[in-house]
Amino acid sequence: MHAEEGDEEPPSMLWGRDPIFSAYARLYIKDILEIKESCQVPGIYFYKLHPIFKVDVLGTVVYKREREDFFCYGVDDGTGVINCLCWKDEQWKDHSGPAHGSKPQVPSHGGFNPTEQLKKLLHSQRCSSNLEIGDVLRVRGPVKTSRGQREIAASSYYKVTDPVLAVQISWMLEVPQLYRKFYDQPCQLSNNALGSNIADTDGGSAASSLLGRASRLLKDFLREKTVEKFRPYDLQQQLVPLVSSTPPQAPNPNPHQAPAPQEPAATQSSSKQLHKLFADTLQLLQDEGLVFRKVISPDQVYQASFGIPRNATQVTEQDRELQRVTREIIREDSKREKYAEKGCHVLHILSSVRQRYSRNVSKAVVEVVLKALECNSEIISATDNHYTAL
Amino acid sequence: MLPAPGVFYFPWEISSGAVQEGTTVRTFGRLKCYQPAESQAILSSHFAATQHQVIVHTVFVEPFHPILGAQYIVLGELEITEGAGLRVHARVLNCVDGVDLTILQSAINEQRSYFQDREGGTDIQHPPP
Repeated sequence: MHAEEGDEEPPSMLWGRDPIFSAYARLYIKDILEIKESCQVPGIYFYKLHPIFKVDVLGTVVYKREREDFFCYGVDDGTGVINCLCWKDEQWKDHSGPAHGSKPQVPSHGGFNPTEQLKKLLHSQRCSSNLEIGDVLRVRGPVKTSRGQREIAASSYYKVTDPVLAVQISWMLEVPQLYRKFYDQPCQLSNNALGSNIADTDGGSAASSLLGRASRLLKDFLREKTVEKFRPYDLQQQLVPLVSSTPPQAPNPNPHQAPAPQEPAATQSSSKQLHKLFADTLQLLQDEGLVFRKVISPDQVYQASFGIPRNATQVTEQDRELQRVTREIIREDSKREKYAEKGCHVLHILSSVRQRYSRNVSKAVVEVVLKALECNSEIISATDNHYTAL
Repeated sequence: MLPAPGVFYFPWEISSGAVQEGTTVRTFGRLKCYQPAESQAILSSHFAATQHQVIVHTVFVEPFHPILGAQYIVLGELEITEGAGLRVHARVLNCVDGVDLTILQSAINEQRSYFQDREGGTDIQHPPP
């Protein structure tokens, strides 16, 4: 972890995008003691550029101090020892008298005695929060630094009953895996954040953000030019700038491959890359229901779900015919007694559209069309899944 | 104020003298005998066809209920005394009879190998073999 110490911490705006930030990180106590505190926000720490705020530890109590309001336990997980501030529960104070009074007080007629049970519950709660040296404690809570010392302010804690070490062993086996798979993996925040600061819904690796940008680019293109149908080959060129400028820092506005003469091998691999990216993007748009193929034929024609179709991959919002058919279905069926009250269910609309228009229409496509119709106030939704005509 | 962390060592690493005096260790073994008069217990374990013994000074953890033949976990500082030689000055001594030693060993090794990968084998977690 020391290698990265020179690196700058990521800006606080991006912290929330790191899933580790909002999780209770199961760090070794050794690391909790060593991680660097953020210079932007006190109370946030960095392990390998992952922002850490709260942690989850399990260890043996090796030190104990009791105050009126809290316990301070020194917890040892075999790599380090840290103080844990564990507040006493309110009930602790109210019933601080010895709990021994709750010995089996002749269960009246063997019936259920709520007072008795409550006492037992309080007693067991007290037992699980009052530990002795040698007991095993699990603590979750934010990391604090007070008077130059790291400590954990327990938001929850309990005594772990672990007579055969099963809990501790599984913990010891699990934590290295967590480190290898997550905590030690480099943080991706800074990479995707550069190109797209808002609408990037897939906050994942650089590859998925490339896909996100490609799909946005295609969507914008389809909308702007009100494309109704297209053949994949014609649109593929749109993505060339994305592939030729893979380093996401500089999206190259020039659609032609700008860099100096490339090796044939490189060109080939970039065209392969382009092809793959385009196929993925098209699949994504299809999944979202924005485009579909009216007829599955060797002639790959897609329709846009948003407009007017003739013979290719259709673009849903442009597919007037599809809109007309859907509207008619709803209008006609809403009059039928069966649907009069609630309107037509999406699945009913879907099956009718499939019968009357094209068998290849997916539910997502119908949903896009319904949304478009609803926006135009041609239909209204009666419930989440029911639509009726005006 | 807080004591040093009790790092897991195998009993045979301790009995072979590979661990330095003063180190805080955590180890295990079967309770072979307990002498309350001397506050001394012996944990024994079997490894590589040899019996290994770790002497435990129990003054801090008394009174405790000794179960001869049961597995125990001990946490404490290694010290050298004139009479007994190398022994663990126990701060924690827990009975963990029924523990699966094979899995425990693999868990200890897993943790060590993680630190080894991370820090290139220079950590205190890795006593020489």
